[in-house]
Amino acid sequence: MAEEQESTLLLPPSTAPEAEVPAEVSPETATPEPPSSAAVSPGTEEPVGDTKKKIDILLKAVGDTPIMKTKKWAVERTRTIQGLIDFIKKFLKLVASEQLFIYVNQSFAPSPDQEVGTLYECFGSDGKLVLHYCKSQAWG
Amino acid sequence: MTDDKDVLRDVWFGRIPTCFTLYQDEITEREAEPYYLLLPRVSYLTLVTDKVKKHFQKVMRQEDISEIWFEYEGTPLKWHYPIGLLFDLLASSSALPWNITVHFKSFPEKDLLHCPSKDVIEAHFMSCVKEADALKHKSQVINEMQKKDHKQLWMGLQNDRFDQFWAINRKLMEYPAEENGFRYIPFRIYQTTTERPFIQKLFRPVSTDGQLHTLGDLLKEVCPSAVAPEEMWFTWVMPKSDVLMFYLSYC
Repeated sequence: MAEEQESTLLLPPSTAPEAEVPAEVSPETATPEPPSSAAVSPGTEEPVGDTKKKIDILLKAVGDTPIMKTKKWAVERTRTIQGLIDFIKKFLKLVASEQLFIYVNQSFAPSPDQEVGTLYECFGSDGKLVLHYCKSQAWG
Repeated sequence: MTDDKDVLRDVWFGRIPTCFTLYQDEITEREAEPYYLLLPRVSYLTLVTDKVKKHFQKVMRQEDISEIWFEYEGTPLKWHYPIGLLFDLLASSSALPWNITVHFKSFPEKDLLHCPSKDVIEAHFMSCVKEADALKHKSQVINEMQKKDHKQLWMGLQNDRFDQFWAINRKLMEYPAEENGFRYIPFRIYQTTTERPFIQKLFRPVSTDGQLHTLGDLLKEVCPSAVAPEEMWFTWVMPKSDVLMFYLSYC
């Protein structure tokens, strides 16, 4: 079931098995209330904002980096940038040794241990955090 | 800004006397003497410890050496945190010198980022500078600078050159005359009493009715669980480039 696969994707690195990436995940088919253990789920009608555990992230590809079929995701605030990088790499079926860079405001690459919730608080707009991802360093 | 020059210099030239000791389980060919060093508060561990590394590697075999990492009383030290922050968070109530243990094995993947080269430190530093400017000036000032200006900021930090650094940094500390300050204050609050990494939120330097906000206003707003001001002390760790970092510690 897609939900279970999403859950296993998001365990902390120390316990995460090599998980299968869901073959097809899209906002239209996602269930209304994702399980609370899933730290990343397709962006749906789940309310996001100050008091909610999850925030909306919009992922945009840079250059010739593959584009994710699902671009909008609801992510737990405490998820780190490294966690997000690992998730995108699995979703795009990149090998572990390939690098992936994430940028905020098309200007800076946050530290891998930075939490997305903090970035959303400071750099989110219109209820979401836009992040650009790239296989090479786009903005230095 | 010129009034603060003395303060800026004091912050920049702050030093922590440190004693580096090799971890007892590391394999050595002969006894490893401790190594003493004055660490700059505003810099990063992996940027200023080349001599420490060389000193201990002299008594070790090549095959027993992998990536260096540092630990204080069992806590791995995050190299990407400024040295002054690490000390104040973990060791400020202990007697000097600060006793750091040096490791060359068993890198703690879960606790530390890797630091394979100085380029990684530079990239991290510049990212912090850019993030701060995104808050202060919507990135306008940092983006208008040339690559060589960015390089000068980094070289100033790397080579401990106050004037070289501030020649560029002063531009990042300016704001239009008609405003009363930056768009938002770049700050992070670190606390010893929580698992949370740090608090970072949007905070304007001026209130809606034109009053300049104080540090107390900031703390009340973003850290309301803090105890009464007289019971806590804080240190303002260098506006390195303007991520004003200060952290709280409970007495």
